[in-house]
Amino acid sequence: MTASVIAGRPNRRRIRKGRVALHAFLITMSVVWLWPLAWALLNALRPLSDTIKNGSWSWPTTLNLNNFINGFQQANLGYYYLNTLIVVVPAVLIVLLVASLVAFALTRVRSRVNLFLLLMFTAGNLLPPQVIIVPLYYIFNWIPLPSAVADNGRLYDQYIGIILIHVVFQMGFCIFVLSNYMRTLPKELNEAALVDGASLFRTFRSVILPLCAPALAALGTLEFTFIYNDFFWALLLMKTGSKRPITSALNNLQGQFFTDQNVLAAVALMVAVPTIIVYIALQRHFIRGLTLGSTKG
Amino acid sequence: MAIQDTSRPEAPSTTGPRSVSRRDILKGMAVVAGAAALPTILVACSSTPTTAPGGGGGGGAVTGTVTVGSNHSDPGELKGMQAINAAFMAANPGSKVVMNTVDHGTFQNQISAYLQGTPEDDFTWFSGYRMRFFASKGLATPIDDVWAKVKSNYTAGFATSVTGDDGKVYGIPVDYYPWCVFYRKSLFAAKGYTIPKTWDDLKALCTKMQSDGLIPIAFGDKDGWPAMGTFDILNLRLNGYQFHVDLMTGKQKWTDPKVTTVFQKWAEIMPFHDTTYAGLTWQKAADTLVQQKSGMYFLGLFMTSEFQATENPADLADVDFFPWPTLGTQYDSEAALDAPIDIWMVTSKSATLQADMDTAKAYMDFWSKGSTQLLMFQNQPGLIPAASDTDTSTYSDLQKKAASIVGAAQKITQFLDRDSRPDFAGADGMQGFLQKFLANPTQDTTGLQKQIQDFWDALPPATV
Repeated sequence: MTASVIAGRPNRRRIRKGRVALHAFLITMSVVWLWPLAWALLNALRPLSDTIKNGSWSWPTTLNLNNFINGFQQANLGYYYLNTLIVVVPAVLIVLLVASLVAFALTRVRSRVNLFLLLMFTAGNLLPPQVIIVPLYYIFNWIPLPSAVADNGRLYDQYIGIILIHVVFQMGFCIFVLSNYMRTLPKELNEAALVDGASLFRTFRSVILPLCAPALAALGTLEFTFIYNDFFWALLLMKTGSKRPITSALNNLQGQFFTDQNVLAAVALMVAVPTIIVYIALQRHFIRGLTLGSTKG
Repeated sequence: MAIQDTSRPEAPSTTGPRSVSRRDILKGMAVVAGAAALPTILVACSSTPTTAPGGGGGGGAVTGTVTVGSNHSDPGELKGMQAINAAFMAANPGSKVVMNTVDHGTFQNQISAYLQGTPEDDFTWFSGYRMRFFASKGLATPIDDVWAKVKSNYTAGFATSVTGDDGKVYGIPVDYYPWCVFYRKSLFAAKGYTIPKTWDDLKALCTKMQSDGLIPIAFGDKDGWPAMGTFDILNLRLNGYQFHVDLMTGKQKWTDPKVTTVFQKWAEIMPFHDTTYAGLTWQKAADTLVQQKSGMYFLGLFMTSEFQATENPADLADVDFFPWPTLGTQYDSEAALDAPIDIWMVTSKSATLQADMDTAKAYMDFWSKGSTQLLMFQNQPGLIPAASDTDTSTYSDLQKKAASIVGAAQKITQFLDRDSRPDFAGADGMQGFLQKFLANPTQDTTGLQKQIQDFWDALPPATV
């Protein structure tokens, strides 16, 4: 008996060691990732006076939701959620529509400029936006808009300007992803559509686009998060504080000197909620979209 | 050479995109300012004689619109702004105030772009070099006509703080806050401490506190600027007001032995400071005073807001402060201190300014009254109204004392980062240099001082 146990051990041990190491690694990583979030939540649940008296590294004496309630009112969150939605929803829809059109043309229509165009979009994606902010600031100030569209008669300080700049800057990435995805779709689909007498646009709308749904869902999730989290463009191209997106509401909570860090933590957690909701809602497509094509060949 | 090598690679990494852009915008501004200066001068020439007899607002009620750019985003200050705007509109039936509130940090970071783009008519800003800088670029409108009517409501120190390089007045002072040494009365009484009057008193007290298990001087320099306050006060006591002003504007060199003495004095008391300062914000440092773990804290009056936030009125009532001790130099009698002044200014590039000018100036006039400033101050107890006719009966003891200390000072400075160029005072400039000093206070500072001077010399020209 002892002999058999000893004989069986080395094998089992090796497996166990590997699993233990793996789980130790996974647990460590998740703790490292969740620690700041948990800490923010803990501080958000305790009043500032408690933190001041006992220090941040103490166990809270009182826990309540006051910071969330006060923070929501103080930061005027409902209003700023709406500001952000005004920018994010059109921007995501437009960028997905236009990018899928471009990707379709680049991959399903033969042309000599295809590769060049794809290179341009991909290269443009690598351009850091910070490089062009000075000329962009002046350009936005110069471009006139009819007063029906913009109350100040310029592209600067308008939602439409922010939507446009997001569309432009996200375009490269979306075209890159979508054209790679469309390339995995069999050519025969196009040929079949052609034989059935479908026009090019009809082929796009009725054949290719529905097949791209997982990729579009994955991109939609990513783009929503990207644009939602953006602070940069709104900061640069908008001067009216009350038009700025939700990320600026967080800044509004930071005083010239005094900042209630616990309210700030509570509001930061609330601001993060919509991206999590979108992720959960589109999660299935998101993961499928990321792995699709990986099994090809 | 070696110094350049160590300082150069740091610049891009700590500067980040924001600073680069700001500097680029400043460069672009050189061109814009040239074009803007001419109309501004023309406006100034033509409007001064015509508005003077008409009153330009203030005297009579105005009925126009004024747009204002405000950095008062804190809940209390926002409430104050709304009360003031309502009061202005009530005093001037038919007039309208349209306010754009941007949070303090963003407002400050974007000021260059803001003033060159499409700013509001009036805006909140700081006095001293920061005001003169934009005034000299033609990005602010002089308001000598308003000032002529309201100057009797201000002391001489305030008048100097709003005068531009060209001798014209560009701002209306609205509030200030002094830098002093804060302590808890109960702690001093319990331990039998007395308020230090001289440098030796201070060091003796620190030694005593240390033996009692306290951190003698609370300190938090994570954000870089609090250390500037200590540098300023030591420099003022050792070398006087004029040297401070000249040093900040480049007329004196950082390699001067006078600067060395400041660092040497600082090194003497550095062992009494909180050793964890590098990771502490001012609020966390103030908490050590709240928790009675430290004995003293040198900071601005706004520090008291941390005592207010404990939601225990006894804490706030327990705070007291005294001016920085004397250092036995001829400049002790100046009793100079940092007391940064906030002001309101009129922009020059606002598209609506010409139409709104009377109301814009009436709004400035309105802000010069103590009754107006009190509306703001009621909601922001860390600040003190600047107007002489402010009703002081509602002041707390702390505010009364702060006002008397500032009143006793013969010279008032703004603060290192308000008296000097923003690109010099920032994180890649003085903030970083002071942190280097603090990391090793007993070092020979000759090399560091040369680095600072080299950094100053390498800055692009500030005036065009």
